[in-house]
Amino acid sequence: MVAIETKELNKSYGGVPVVKGIDLTVEQGEIFGFLGRNGAGKSTFINMLTGIIPPTSGDYSLLGVKGPNDQVKKRIGVMPDYSTLYGSLTAVDHLKFLSALSGKKVTKEQCLQVLKLVGLESHVHKKAGKYSFGMKKKLGIAQAIIHDPELIFLDEPTSGLDAESVLQIHTLIKALQKRGKTIFMTSHNLAEVEKLCTRIGIMKEGQIVKIGTMDELRAFYRSTMTVQLKHSTIPTGEQRTLYQWLESVGRDLVIEDTNLSITIDDEKKIAEMIRGFNRCKTDIYRVEVKEPTLEEIFLDED
Amino acid sequence: MGVIAQREFINLFKGIKSIIIVAILLVTAYYSAKFSNFFLLDASMEFTPKEAEDIHLFGLLVLILLFGQLFVMGLSHDSINRETHERTSRFLVTRTSRASIILGKFFGIWLFWFVCVTIAFLLTSIFSKKFDVFIFSQTMSLLTFQIALTILLSVLISRPGVTMFLGVILGIAAPIFGFWIEFTQNAWVSWIKFLTPYYYLSREDATFLLILLMAGIMIVIANLIFQRREC
Repeated sequence: MVAIETKELNKSYGGVPVVKGIDLTVEQGEIFGFLGRNGAGKSTFINMLTGIIPPTSGDYSLLGVKGPNDQVKKRIGVMPDYSTLYGSLTAVDHLKFLSALSGKKVTKEQCLQVLKLVGLESHVHKKAGKYSFGMKKKLGIAQAIIHDPELIFLDEPTSGLDAESVLQIHTLIKALQKRGKTIFMTSHNLAEVEKLCTRIGIMKEGQIVKIGTMDELRAFYRSTMTVQLKHSTIPTGEQRTLYQWLESVGRDLVIEDTNLSITIDDEKKIAEMIRGFNRCKTDIYRVEVKEPTLEEIFLDED
Repeated sequence: MGVIAQREFINLFKGIKSIIIVAILLVTAYYSAKFSNFFLLDASMEFTPKEAEDIHLFGLLVLILLFGQLFVMGLSHDSINRETHERTSRFLVTRTSRASIILGKFFGIWLFWFVCVTIAFLLTSIFSKKFDVFIFSQTMSLLTFQIALTILLSVLISRPGVTMFLGVILGIAAPIFGFWIEFTQNAWVSWIKFLTPYYYLSREDATFLLILLMAGIMIVIANLIFQRREC
């Protein structure tokens, strides 16, 4: 069953598009990770799905129900990217109030159980106004799951948390998935996404530019590599022929004296290029192959 | 809606501002009842038999007429915009409909004033041995209007500081303007009196119910605006 489906979802501010016609499908039981630079439109997208901001155009459905729908809101849990808690309420008061708002009354014991899962068990009677940033973040996660929702939106759930807390939240997210929950999360932490997510979407300038499993994305980027060559001077008569031939082998050809850089899709083309240079009576002195780093995979600008 | 109304209702009873306002209501009720005979004996003041009969309740109605908007705005000017300003509204809009939020806030505030005014009227009835449902209904209809206006302003204006300032200005200016427009002979502006609750309260018939209609319209407008508001 489909947990999230969007069709041509758009958001503009004053005519400036921030989210541009996103079509996305997330299956139930997935942990879907959304990556992108600041301002890429991740939070705007998540805020539209959760009813925080109305979309400019397009449709979306959550758990098979066309949104925004009040009944489906009771079946989702949301941890917004930025929100202030009710300063005068304790953690238990927060959970009781917000859970009741979702149509589910919870006992103090149930609240304590959830607070223990996020590592807030020793601060349950403290008012949220006195919480540290990390504690607020944890309570934000707790309130998103207190009413046992089927679909959980987590906007940067671990940013600003210490290493131990991050591990605790990761364990919780995995446990939630095992219980059949669907999790849609955004993050800047590449290792976190790699570790947790079953599928990843990369967003750039309001559009999803890449989508797939971690292996699919790696495979895609590994097939692209930049080759840098240092060679002897190319005989004048051969230059034009060699450059034309190189452009047919790869792309993004950059020539600087006797240095050359080219992007190819298959490593077998390296040998082919060396042979091509030899045919044109040019020696190769050095070959460097540059594969994309993990960071480049996610923050690829091209 | 019920959860939001309950929270709003309980929150209003917390804090010094609400304690002061409840005390003012009770003190006014007590003294207007206690000294009602003093006004009746004052030859310079003329009352109809009906007014003389209900003199002990007029103190309360006049208090709400003159200071009701100030009281309501003072307590609830930021009922909506505080939530959007501090982004706690994100917890609400992701869990329930925006209409439920507006109605929940409205009914929570309304219930607070209903309880306060009922206690004040009951206190007065101890002296008068009578509970005047008509004046009570008039008082509540005026408060309903004032609460709806407060909610509308809290949706329209996003900054709590501005609604606080506006609340004080409006709380003072509205009754002055309302009474002036009620008695002005200027034909160009006198029609505005039909848009204020003061005109309907001066009539001793059921037209005061139109005030509830006006309140309803304001809540509908507030809801329409809030539907498009980012939280």
